[in-house]
Amino acid sequence: MNRVFWNVLGAALACAAMATAAAQETPRMPDGKPDFSGIYTQPATVNATGPRGNLIFNADKMAPLKPGAEGLLYEARNGDPRHDEPRAMCLPAGFPDGMLYILPIQIVQNPQTLVIIPELQRAARIIPTDGRPHRDGLEPTYYGDSVGRWEGDTLVIDSVNFKRWILDDYHYTDPTKTRWHSDALNTTERLKRDGDKLLYQITIDDPKIFTKPFSQDFVLTLRRDWEQLGLLEYVCEENNRCAGGHCRAPDAK
Amino acid sequence: MTRNLLASIVLTAVVMPAFAHHSETAEFNPDKLVKLTGTLVRVEWLNPHVWFYVDVKDDKGNVTTWGFSNAPPGSLMRRGITKDVLKIGSVVNVEGARARDGSNNASSRSVTFADGRNVFTATEAPK
Repeated sequence: MNRVFWNVLGAALACAAMATAAAQETPRMPDGKPDFSGIYTQPATVNATGPRGNLIFNADKMAPLKPGAEGLLYEARNGDPRHDEPRAMCLPAGFPDGMLYILPIQIVQNPQTLVIIPELQRAARIIPTDGRPHRDGLEPTYYGDSVGRWEGDTLVIDSVNFKRWILDDYHYTDPTKTRWHSDALNTTERLKRDGDKLLYQITIDDPKIFTKPFSQDFVLTLRRDWEQLGLLEYVCEENNRCAGGHCRAPDAK
Repeated sequence: MTRNLLASIVLTAVVMPAFAHHSETAEFNPDKLVKLTGTLVRVEWLNPHVWFYVDVKDDKGNVTTWGFSNAPPGSLMRRGITKDVLKIGSVVNVEGARARDGSNNASSRSVTFADGRNVFTATEAPK
Protein backbone atom coordinates (compact mmCIF):
# COMPACT_ATOMS: atom_id res chain seq x y z
CA MET A 1 0.00 0.00 0.00
CA ASN A 2 2.69 2.33 1.10
CA ARG A 3 4.79 1.41 -1.90
CA VAL A 4 1.84 1.97 -4.25
CA PHE A 5 1.31 5.39 -2.72
CA TRP A 6 4.92 6.40 -3.23
CA ASN A 7 4.95 5.00 -6.77
CA VAL A 8 1.85 6.97 -7.65
CA LEU A 9 3.22 10.10 -6.02
CA GLY A 10 6.53 9.68 -7.85
CA ALA A 11 4.82 9.22 -11.19
CA ALA A 12 2.63 12.25 -10.56
CA LEU A 13 5.63 14.39 -9.69
CA ALA A 14 7.50 13.17 -12.77
CA CYS A 15 4.50 14.03 -14.97
CA ALA A 16 4.24 17.46 -13.37
CA ALA A 17 7.94 18.07 -13.93
CA MET A 18 7.65 16.99 -17.57
CA ALA A 19 4.61 19.19 -18.06
CA THR A 20 6.45 22.15 -16.55
CA ALA A 21 9.47 21.51 -18.73
CA ALA A 22 7.23 21.26 -21.79
CA ALA A 23 5.45 24.47 -20.86
CA GLN A 24 8.77 26.27 -20.43
CA GLU A 25 10.42 24.82 -23.50
CA THR A 26 11.27 27.49 -26.01
CA PRO A 27 9.16 27.13 -29.15
CA ARG A 28 11.29 27.08 -32.25
CA MET A 29 11.09 27.95 -35.90
CA PRO A 30 11.76 25.20 -38.49
CA ASP A 31 15.35 26.44 -38.69
CA GLY A 32 15.81 25.87 -34.96
CA LYS A 33 15.83 29.53 -33.98
CA PRO A 34 13.59 30.56 -31.07
CA ASP A 35 10.09 31.54 -32.16
CA PHE A 36 9.05 34.89 -30.68
CA SER A 37 5.70 35.00 -32.49
CA GLY A 38 2.75 36.13 -30.46
CA ILE A 39 1.03 39.00 -28.71
CA TYR A 40 2.74 40.37 -25.63
CA THR A 41 1.98 42.81 -22.87
CA GLN A 42 3.83 46.07 -22.92
CA PRO A 43 7.39 45.94 -21.59
CA ALA A 44 7.72 46.43 -17.86
CA THR A 45 10.94 47.39 -16.21
CA VAL A 46 12.65 44.75 -14.15
CA ASN A 47 13.21 46.18 -10.67
CA ALA A 48 11.64 49.49 -11.57
CA THR A 49 12.70 52.52 -9.61
CA GLY A 50 11.24 55.98 -9.56
CA PRO A 51 7.81 57.23 -10.57
CA ARG A 52 6.22 55.39 -13.49
CA GLY A 53 9.48 53.50 -13.62
CA ASN A 54 8.03 50.55 -15.45
CA LEU A 55 7.76 52.31 -18.79
CA ILE A 56 10.53 54.86 -18.87
CA PHE A 57 14.27 54.89 -18.52
CA ASN A 58 15.19 55.32 -14.91
CA ALA A 59 17.55 58.19 -14.36
CA ASP A 60 19.48 56.24 -11.74
CA LYS A 61 20.32 53.61 -14.34
CA MET A 62 21.50 56.07 -16.94
CA ALA A 63 25.14 56.69 -17.69
CA PRO A 64 26.59 60.04 -16.59
CA LEU A 65 25.89 62.95 -18.92
CA LYS A 66 28.56 64.63 -20.94
CA PRO A 67 29.32 68.18 -19.82
CA GLY A 68 26.72 70.53 -21.26
CA ALA A 69 24.47 67.70 -22.48
CA GLU A 70 21.69 68.29 -19.94
CA GLY A 71 19.89 70.51 -22.44
CA LEU A 72 20.10 67.84 -25.12
CA LEU A 73 18.50 65.22 -22.87
CA TYR A 74 15.88 67.44 -21.29
CA GLU A 75 13.94 70.09 -23.16
CA ALA A 76 11.56 72.43 -21.36
CA ARG A 77 8.03 72.60 -22.68
CA ASN A 78 7.64 75.59 -24.96
CA GLY A 79 3.86 75.60 -25.37
CA ASP A 80 3.87 74.04 -28.83
CA PRO A 81 2.19 70.65 -28.39
CA ARG A 82 4.02 69.30 -31.44
CA HIS A 83 7.21 69.82 -29.46
CA ASP A 84 5.95 69.21 -25.96
CA GLU A 85 4.15 65.97 -26.69
CA PRO A 86 4.39 64.96 -30.33
CA ARG A 87 2.46 61.74 -29.79
CA ALA A 88 -0.51 63.65 -28.36
CA MET A 89 -0.75 65.36 -31.76
CA CYS A 90 -0.62 61.95 -33.47
CA LEU A 91 2.95 62.52 -34.58
CA PRO A 92 5.10 59.37 -34.51
CA ALA A 93 5.95 57.85 -31.17
CA GLY A 94 9.31 56.80 -32.58
CA PHE A 95 11.70 54.35 -31.01
CA PRO A 96 12.29 53.50 -28.23
CA ASP A 97 9.33 55.54 -26.94
CA GLY A 98 6.81 53.67 -29.11
CA MET A 99 7.93 50.32 -27.70
CA LEU A 100 7.50 51.41 -24.09
CA TYR A 101 3.77 51.97 -24.00
CA ILE A 102 0.79 50.47 -22.26
CA LEU A 103 -0.72 48.77 -25.30
CA PRO A 104 0.40 45.33 -26.47
CA ILE A 105 2.89 44.47 -29.17
CA GLN A 106 2.76 41.63 -31.67
CA ILE A 107 5.81 39.84 -33.04
CA VAL A 108 5.62 38.13 -36.42
CA GLN A 109 8.60 36.11 -37.53
CA ASN A 110 9.96 34.15 -40.46
CA PRO A 111 13.50 32.88 -41.00
CA GLN A 112 14.61 36.11 -42.68
CA THR A 113 12.65 38.76 -40.83
CA LEU A 114 11.23 39.64 -37.45
CA VAL A 115 8.46 42.23 -37.33
CA ILE A 116 7.58 44.05 -34.11
CA ILE A 117 4.20 45.77 -34.26
CA PRO A 118 3.13 47.92 -31.32
CA GLU A 119 -0.63 48.46 -31.24
CA LEU A 120 0.16 52.11 -30.53
CA GLN A 121 0.10 53.75 -33.96
CA ARG A 122 0.63 50.30 -35.57
CA ALA A 123 4.14 51.36 -36.50
CA ALA A 124 5.73 48.09 -37.60
CA ARG A 125 9.48 47.69 -37.23
CA ILE A 126 10.61 45.30 -39.97
CA ILE A 127 13.92 43.83 -38.87
CA PRO A 128 15.98 41.66 -41.24
CA THR A 129 17.62 38.75 -39.43
CA ASP A 130 19.49 37.32 -42.40
CA GLY A 131 22.79 39.01 -41.70
CA ARG A 132 22.48 41.94 -44.05
CA PRO A 133 24.13 45.23 -43.03
CA HIS A 134 22.37 48.52 -42.32
CA ARG A 135 21.11 50.38 -45.34
CA ASP A 136 23.20 53.29 -46.55
CA GLY A 137 22.13 56.69 -47.77
CA LEU A 138 18.82 57.00 -45.95
CA GLU A 139 17.64 60.13 -44.21
CA PRO A 140 17.36 59.74 -40.41
CA THR A 141 14.00 58.38 -39.29
CA TYR A 142 11.82 58.18 -36.19
CA TYR A 143 12.32 54.42 -35.83
CA GLY A 144 15.86 54.17 -37.19
CA ASP A 145 17.26 51.41 -39.35
CA SER A 146 17.36 48.03 -37.64
CA VAL A 147 19.14 44.76 -38.39
CA GLY A 148 19.09 41.61 -36.29
CA ARG A 149 21.50 38.79 -35.68
CA TRP A 150 21.38 35.67 -33.54
CA GLU A 151 23.70 35.06 -30.64
CA GLY A 152 22.62 31.56 -29.64
CA ASP A 153 18.99 31.86 -28.57
CA THR A 154 19.19 35.63 -28.18
CA LEU A 155 18.16 37.93 -31.00
CA VAL A 156 20.29 41.06 -31.01
CA ILE A 157 18.83 44.06 -32.86
CA ASP A 158 21.08 46.96 -33.74
CA SER A 159 19.44 50.24 -34.74
CA VAL A 160 20.97 53.43 -36.10
CA ASN A 161 20.11 56.47 -38.20
CA PHE A 162 17.57 58.08 -35.90
CA LYS A 163 16.06 61.51 -36.16
CA ARG A 164 16.32 63.47 -32.89
CA TRP A 165 13.08 62.74 -31.09
CA ILE A 166 11.35 62.02 -27.79
CA LEU A 167 13.22 59.28 -25.87
CA ASP A 168 10.44 58.09 -23.59
CA ASP A 169 7.35 59.11 -21.61
CA TYR A 170 9.33 60.97 -18.97
CA HIS A 171 6.88 63.88 -19.31
CA TYR A 172 4.27 61.80 -17.47
CA THR A 173 6.38 62.25 -14.37
CA ASP A 174 7.46 65.85 -14.86
CA PRO A 175 5.02 68.22 -16.58
CA THR A 176 7.70 70.85 -17.14
CA LYS A 177 9.98 69.05 -19.57
CA THR A 178 10.44 66.20 -21.99
CA ARG A 179 13.30 63.78 -22.51
CA TRP A 180 14.98 63.37 -25.90
CA HIS A 181 17.64 61.36 -27.66
CA SER A 182 20.02 62.81 -30.20
CA ASP A 183 20.60 61.88 -33.83
CA ALA A 184 23.66 59.91 -32.72
CA LEU A 185 21.52 57.31 -30.94
CA ASN A 186 22.49 53.68 -31.45
CA THR A 187 20.31 51.11 -29.69
CA THR A 188 21.02 47.46 -29.10
CA GLU A 189 18.09 45.27 -28.10
CA ARG A 190 18.51 41.75 -26.81
CA LEU A 191 15.44 39.49 -26.91
CA LYS A 192 15.29 36.10 -25.29
CA ARG A 193 12.36 33.84 -24.47
CA ASP A 194 11.97 32.36 -21.03
CA GLY A 195 8.79 30.31 -21.24
CA ASP A 196 6.01 32.81 -21.78
CA LYS A 197 8.25 35.69 -20.75
CA LEU A 198 10.18 37.70 -23.27
CA LEU A 199 13.28 39.10 -21.66
CA TYR A 200 14.06 42.39 -23.29
CA GLN A 201 17.15 44.46 -22.71
CA ILE A 202 17.82 47.70 -24.48
CA THR A 203 21.17 49.47 -24.50
CA ILE A 204 21.22 53.17 -25.21
CA ASP A 205 24.40 54.48 -26.75
CA ASP A 206 24.00 58.17 -27.41
CA PRO A 207 27.50 59.67 -27.46
CA LYS A 208 26.28 63.24 -27.87
CA ILE A 209 24.52 62.98 -24.49
CA PHE A 210 26.02 60.18 -22.38
CA THR A 211 29.60 59.38 -21.45
CA LYS A 212 29.02 55.69 -22.12
CA PRO A 213 26.24 53.27 -23.08
CA PHE A 214 23.75 52.09 -20.48
CA SER A 215 21.19 49.31 -20.43
CA GLN A 216 17.79 48.73 -18.91
CA ASP A 217 16.00 45.40 -18.60
CA PHE A 218 12.32 44.89 -19.31
CA VAL A 219 10.10 41.85 -19.42
CA LEU A 220 7.08 41.23 -21.65
CA THR A 221 4.54 38.48 -21.10
CA LEU A 222 3.05 36.38 -23.88
CA ARG A 223 -0.75 36.61 -23.76
CA ARG A 224 -2.27 33.63 -25.57
CA ASP A 225 -5.68 34.80 -24.34
CA TRP A 226 -5.30 37.94 -26.47
CA GLU A 227 -4.75 35.95 -29.68
CA GLN A 228 -8.43 35.76 -30.54
CA LEU A 229 -8.98 39.51 -30.27
CA GLY A 230 -5.64 40.11 -31.95
CA LEU A 231 -3.98 43.43 -32.42
CA LEU A 232 -6.48 46.20 -33.13
CA GLU A 233 -6.36 49.06 -35.58
CA TYR A 234 -5.07 52.31 -34.12
CA VAL A 235 -5.70 55.36 -36.25
CA CYS A 236 -4.70 58.17 -33.93
CA GLU A 237 -6.15 60.90 -36.13
CA GLU A 238 -9.61 59.35 -36.05
CA ASN A 239 -10.83 60.94 -32.83
CA ASN A 240 -7.96 62.86 -31.27
CA ARG A 241 -10.12 65.36 -29.43
CA CYS A 242 -8.65 67.94 -27.04
CA ALA A 243 -5.21 67.49 -28.59
CA GLY A 244 -2.78 69.91 -27.03
CA GLY A 245 -5.50 71.21 -24.73
CA HIS A 246 -7.78 72.53 -27.48
CA CYS A 247 -11.08 70.73 -27.53
CA ARG A 248 -13.61 70.73 -30.30
CA ALA A 249 -17.07 71.52 -29.02
CA PRO A 250 -19.06 68.36 -28.46
CA ASP A 251 -21.45 68.03 -31.32
CA ALA A 252 -23.76 65.47 -29.79
CA LYS A 253 -27.24 66.90 -29.64
CA MET B 1 -36.08 59.29 -15.29
CA THR B 2 -34.62 61.94 -13.13
CA ARG B 3 -31.77 63.76 -14.78
CA ASN B 4 -31.22 66.45 -12.26
CA LEU B 5 -28.11 68.41 -12.70
CA LEU B 6 -25.62 67.81 -9.98
CA ALA B 7 -23.02 69.78 -11.83
CA SER B 8 -20.38 71.27 -9.71
CA ILE B 9 -16.76 71.94 -10.22
CA VAL B 10 -15.09 70.54 -7.23
CA LEU B 11 -11.62 70.59 -5.86
CA THR B 12 -10.99 67.16 -4.48
CA ALA B 13 -8.14 64.81 -3.94
CA VAL B 14 -6.41 63.86 -7.17
CA VAL B 15 -7.18 60.35 -8.32
CA MET B 16 -5.18 58.43 -10.87
CA PRO B 17 -5.72 59.88 -14.33
CA ALA B 18 -7.31 57.84 -17.04
CA PHE B 19 -4.99 56.01 -19.33
CA ALA B 20 -3.85 58.36 -22.07
CA HIS B 21 -1.59 58.56 -25.12
CA HIS B 22 -0.53 61.95 -23.84
CA SER B 23 0.31 63.54 -20.54
CA GLU B 24 -3.19 64.17 -19.30
CA THR B 25 -2.33 67.33 -17.43
CA ALA B 26 -1.47 69.10 -20.70
CA GLU B 27 -5.06 68.84 -21.84
CA PHE B 28 -7.09 68.46 -18.67
CA ASN B 29 -6.77 70.24 -15.37
CA PRO B 30 -6.47 67.86 -12.41
CA ASP B 31 -7.33 70.75 -10.09
CA LYS B 32 -10.68 71.33 -11.78
CA LEU B 33 -12.68 68.22 -11.24
CA VAL B 34 -16.23 68.07 -12.51
CA LYS B 35 -18.90 65.85 -11.04
CA LEU B 36 -21.96 65.43 -13.22
CA THR B 37 -25.01 63.26 -13.60
CA GLY B 38 -26.83 62.94 -16.87
CA THR B 39 -28.01 60.76 -19.70
CA LEU B 40 -25.65 59.02 -22.08
CA VAL B 41 -26.45 60.27 -25.58
CA ARG B 42 -23.54 59.26 -27.78
CA VAL B 43 -20.48 57.02 -27.78
CA GLU B 44 -17.37 57.22 -29.97
CA TRP B 45 -15.58 53.88 -29.57
CA LEU B 46 -12.52 55.15 -31.40
CA ASN B 47 -8.81 55.72 -31.01
CA PRO B 48 -6.88 57.22 -29.48
CA HIS B 49 -9.54 57.40 -26.75
CA VAL B 50 -13.12 56.36 -26.28
CA TRP B 51 -15.32 59.44 -25.88
CA PHE B 52 -18.86 59.45 -24.59
CA TYR B 53 -21.32 62.29 -24.29
CA VAL B 54 -23.74 63.02 -21.51
CA ASP B 55 -26.70 65.40 -21.53
CA VAL B 56 -26.85 67.20 -18.21
CA LYS B 57 -29.98 69.14 -17.24
CA ASP B 58 -29.83 72.05 -14.82
CA ASP B 59 -32.51 73.16 -12.36
CA LYS B 60 -34.16 75.32 -15.03
CA GLY B 61 -34.33 72.46 -17.48
CA ASN B 62 -31.51 73.67 -19.71
CA VAL B 63 -29.54 70.81 -21.19
CA THR B 64 -25.78 70.93 -21.70
CA THR B 65 -23.87 68.20 -23.48
CA TRP B 66 -20.57 67.19 -21.91
CA GLY B 67 -17.90 65.08 -23.57
CA PHE B 68 -15.74 62.65 -21.59
CA SER B 69 -12.64 60.80 -22.69
CA ASN B 70 -11.59 57.40 -21.44
CA ALA B 71 -9.08 54.69 -22.35
CA PRO B 72 -8.32 53.45 -25.89
CA PRO B 73 -10.82 50.84 -27.13
CA GLY B 74 -8.17 48.10 -27.21
CA SER B 75 -7.24 48.59 -23.58
CA LEU B 76 -10.88 48.36 -22.51
CA MET B 77 -11.62 45.34 -24.71
CA ARG B 78 -8.70 43.38 -23.28
CA ARG B 79 -10.29 43.90 -19.87
CA GLY B 80 -13.51 42.43 -21.22
CA ILE B 81 -15.22 45.80 -21.54
CA THR B 82 -17.07 46.40 -24.80
CA LYS B 83 -19.05 49.25 -26.28
CA ASP B 84 -22.19 47.52 -24.96
CA VAL B 85 -21.55 48.82 -21.43
CA LEU B 86 -22.25 52.34 -22.65
CA LYS B 87 -25.94 52.07 -23.41
CA ILE B 88 -27.50 55.15 -24.90
CA GLY B 89 -30.14 56.46 -22.51
CA SER B 90 -28.40 55.21 -19.37
CA VAL B 91 -28.09 57.62 -16.49
CA VAL B 92 -24.46 57.91 -15.46
CA ASN B 93 -22.50 59.74 -12.81
CA VAL B 94 -19.16 60.96 -14.07
CA GLU B 95 -16.22 62.52 -12.31
CA GLY B 96 -13.32 63.84 -14.27
CA ALA B 97 -10.74 66.54 -14.87
CA ARG B 98 -12.09 69.42 -16.95
CA ALA B 99 -10.53 70.48 -20.24
CA ARG B 100 -8.00 73.25 -19.85
CA ASP B 101 -9.72 75.35 -22.50
CA GLY B 102 -12.79 75.54 -20.24
CA SER B 103 -15.02 73.73 -22.72
CA ASN B 104 -17.55 71.16 -21.59
CA ASN B 105 -15.12 68.30 -21.95
CA ALA B 106 -13.32 66.27 -19.34
CA SER B 107 -11.17 63.22 -18.86
CA SER B 108 -13.36 60.74 -17.02
CA ARG B 109 -11.99 59.10 -13.92
CA SER B 110 -15.02 57.61 -12.26
CA VAL B 111 -18.07 56.51 -14.23
CA THR B 112 -20.95 54.83 -12.44
CA PHE B 113 -24.51 53.93 -13.25
CA ALA B 114 -27.37 55.28 -11.19
CA ASP B 115 -27.22 52.15 -9.02
CA GLY B 116 -23.59 52.84 -8.19
CA ARG B 117 -22.00 50.11 -10.32
CA ASN B 118 -18.79 51.09 -12.07
CA VAL B 119 -19.18 51.32 -15.83
CA PHE B 120 -15.53 50.62 -16.38
CA THR B 121 -14.78 48.07 -13.75
CA ALA B 122 -11.12 48.89 -13.39
CA THR B 123 -8.71 51.59 -14.36
CA GLU B 124 -5.40 51.02 -16.02
CA ALA B 125 -3.68 54.22 -15.23
CA PRO B 126 -0.05 54.88 -15.97
CA LYS B 127 2.02 53.81 -13.02
